Amino acid sequence: MAELTHTDAVFTPKPSQPPPPNTVGVVGWLRKNLFGGPFDSVMTIIGAGLLAYFAYGLFQYTIVNAVWEADSYRECLDVTQGAGACWAGVDKWMNNYLYGRYPDAEQWRVNLGGIILAVWLAPFWFEKVTQKIAVGVSAVLTYPFLAGALFLGGDNGLFMQAMSSVALTLFAAVWLNVAACYSGRRSLGAVLVQVTGFAGKDDRLYKWVYLAAFAVGFVVAFIFQSTWNLAPVQTTNWGGLFLTLVISGIGISTALPSGVILALGRRSKMPVIRVFCTAFIELFRSVPLITILFMAVTMMPLFLPVTLNPDKLVLVIVAVCIFAAAYMAEIVRGGLQAINTGQYEAARAVGLNYWKMMTLIVMPQALKLMIPNIVGNFIGLLKDTTLVSIIGLYDILLMVRASGQDPKWLGMHTEPMLFAAFVFFVICFAMSKYSQHLERTIGGGYGRR
Amino acid sequence: MAVLEKGSPHRASRSLSEWLHDERVRSVLYQAIVAIVVIAVARYLFINTSENLQARGMSAGFDFLSTGAGFSIAWSVLPYTAGDSYFHVYLVGIGNTLMVAFVAIICTTLLGFLVGIMRLSKNWLIAQVASWYVEILRNTPLLLQILFWFLAVFSLLPRPNKSLSLLDLFYLNNRGLYIPAPVPGDGFNITLIAVLVAVGATYAQAVWARKRHFDTGQRFPAFWTGLGILFGLPLLVFLVTGAPLTFDYPALKGFNFLGGASVPPAFCALLLALVIYHSAYMAEAVRAGIMSVSHGQTEAAYSLGLRPGMTLRLVIIPQAMRAVVPPMISNWMNVVKNSSLAIAIGYPDLVAVYMQTSLNQSGHAIEIVAMVMLFYMSVSLSISMALNYYNKIVQLKER
Repeated sequence: MAELTHTDAVFTPKPSQPPPPNTVGVVGWLRKNLFGGPFDSVMTIIGAGLLAYFAYGLFQYTIVNAVWEADSYRECLDVTQGAGACWAGVDKWMNNYLYGRYPDAEQWRVNLGGIILAVWLAPFWFEKVTQKIAVGVSAVLTYPFLAGALFLGGDNGLFMQAMSSVALTLFAAVWLNVAACYSGRRSLGAVLVQVTGFAGKDDRLYKWVYLAAFAVGFVVAFIFQSTWNLAPVQTTNWGGLFLTLVISGIGISTALPSGVILALGRRSKMPVIRVFCTAFIELFRSVPLITILFMAVTMMPLFLPVTLNPDKLVLVIVAVCIFAAAYMAEIVRGGLQAINTGQYEAARAVGLNYWKMMTLIVMPQALKLMIPNIVGNFIGLLKDTTLVSIIGLYDILLMVRASGQDPKWLGMHTEPMLFAAFVFFVICFAMSKYSQHLERTIGGGYGRR
Repeated sequence: MAVLEKGSPHRASRSLSEWLHDERVRSVLYQAIVAIVVIAVARYLFINTSENLQARGMSAGFDFLSTGAGFSIAWSVLPYTAGDSYFHVYLVGIGNTLMVAFVAIICTTLLGFLVGIMRLSKNWLIAQVASWYVEILRNTPLLLQILFWFLAVFSLLPRPNKSLSLLDLFYLNNRGLYIPAPVPGDGFNITLIAVLVAVGATYAQAVWARKRHFDTGQRFPAFWTGLGILFGLPLLVFLVTGAPLTFDYPALKGFNFLGGASVPPAFCALLLALVIYHSAYMAEAVRAGIMSVSHGQTEAAYSLGLRPGMTLRLVIIPQAMRAVVPPMISNWMNVVKNSSLAIAIGYPDLVAVYMQTSLNQSGHAIEIVAMVMLFYMSVSLSISMALNYYNKIVQLKER
């Protein structure tokens, strides 16, 4: 017994042997993921063969045998014998795919509109910027007027002028706010209060400061925009990717607010409101978009006074918005149902009223939960916007079809469609990847559901 | 001891503002406002509409349904000749829509399951191929895909005299797809009756096998027996009655094919595009469903001694189906709705023949739009009723 207790034997494990060479490294990965068994191996070989065949065919068609310089589809065909793409035609039509029949000399307005929107929304991604919700709300509510004035040109009446001045003012405010935040101040409002010498005075006076600042900005903006002299461009000349983005952009930005209202209405305790909302949602969700579009262009003019004579584009946009709102409402409702009743009850228990409970407690959680579905819906809406080509709006898809009917490029269908598919794929894929990123960063923030 | 009810302590002595802050009063008030606004808008639209109709010298109503439609329809499932009534056009359109939707639903479900399982494959290459298939198809518009299949594939097929053919039975050319048409002879009805009997017998034996399994624990190969009854009985009857079925084969006569059955290129393009596009969504539903069954279920089944095949059949699939079926059915609904894109390539579906051609000819926009919407609504309502019924059956029974 004693000998055993003071033994010097120390347990020294043998160094472990390296893993078998065929389970690590490239070979191991191949064995595990591609050649796990006879069936697996056969599948891999068949799959790789098919993939190589298609990839080679696509490469040959789009790159090797493609023609980049030609004046007609006939010329292309003479060179390729149909074995290669005719990118020359796509290149010649490119301007139409992007802008439709928007006059060449005025296309800078479309570009400028796009840039303004991008710059307006950019502060979303700046870390230090406060009041991001105000950035989003101001853009959604007023940018369309500014963009409309810019794209339409001509004289659109006092209301449009006023609204685009408001938009310009808010746009400036957003970026002044960014500057304020990055120079160490809390927000633009704080700077304004300080500059005007109201700091330390009654809080209730602050709103007059803001209002006065806004009024000054508005007057300046109004004078600035009244110097514009833009040539009018009819909406019938709008087209291409530009038109697609206009329609889907308006649809997307109105879908969420109207969807939230409809969803709340459907879950309301008031029977009249609930019935109307439910009927609206179910009606427009159960019919295809194309029937809603037909309804908009054939039935709507009957419903409205003759004197109104609405623009076809306006009717189509209304139809797309209705469609988008109905779908979004069901997604939001799904989110609302997923929120634990305890959240509602806790909000009530601390004395919040209905709207505060919804905007501060329930909606933020419900919308976060539904980010993948919401973005999925946006992607679907962007894709569905192509349906307007059926009722004769020259969106990118109808431009693609038109280019194949151009006498010079007669029969050129595949190339423009590949181009359009590529454009849609890039936009939609980017959106879906971004939604996955959002889901990771803010979606699961609370960890518990 | 007085129990104060919310907002109604002293009804008589309340001021107007108190009264307005009563939640119940407000609720009634809001609803009244909404109702009045809706009614006012409806009335406004109605007045406008009747003025507009009067100005155009038209009358509202469904009288036009019985008048003859002067146009012809390129291809239809139901028989149609130019001059049949508008109501008949409506039915023909519904027939064509349901035809393409039905075939598309079956094919897309099969393809979707295949791709969904491929995405879950342990084989990296297969999973990657399937995932790119899904990504590419889901991120491009369906209308673009339909046009691609129609303009870039089916329109470029050879002329009838140079048709692609399979076994000299099926022919594919730029006029469409030609297949042998079955021609039932005398006594074929008996086989049809046998099919009905076989379906009933299969169902009965499945119920019996299930009951026996529950009572005694012994398994009965209900699936294979059912398959045997389902196909064996009709086949036996068919052969006994002397195989009363011949085929009418398509054959090239002059510049075109005669005989057999045919579908136009637009049908093929639409079908293919619908199947491929929706199979990507179906695949995602299948994948999400299978992923939703936790791995613990598999481990538990193994520890009970179930073989992998039985684990899949008895444990994984029944639970996965609960998550797969609802999105699958809403996908079917989307197939029906999206079949309306047929109009872009000239397949005469309901929207094309009724909402476009008939509407342009008769001008009865309101009635026609309402009828088309009614059809799609009834399809979607019946599908969602079926879905609710299914959900009720498979809901987790929690105690």
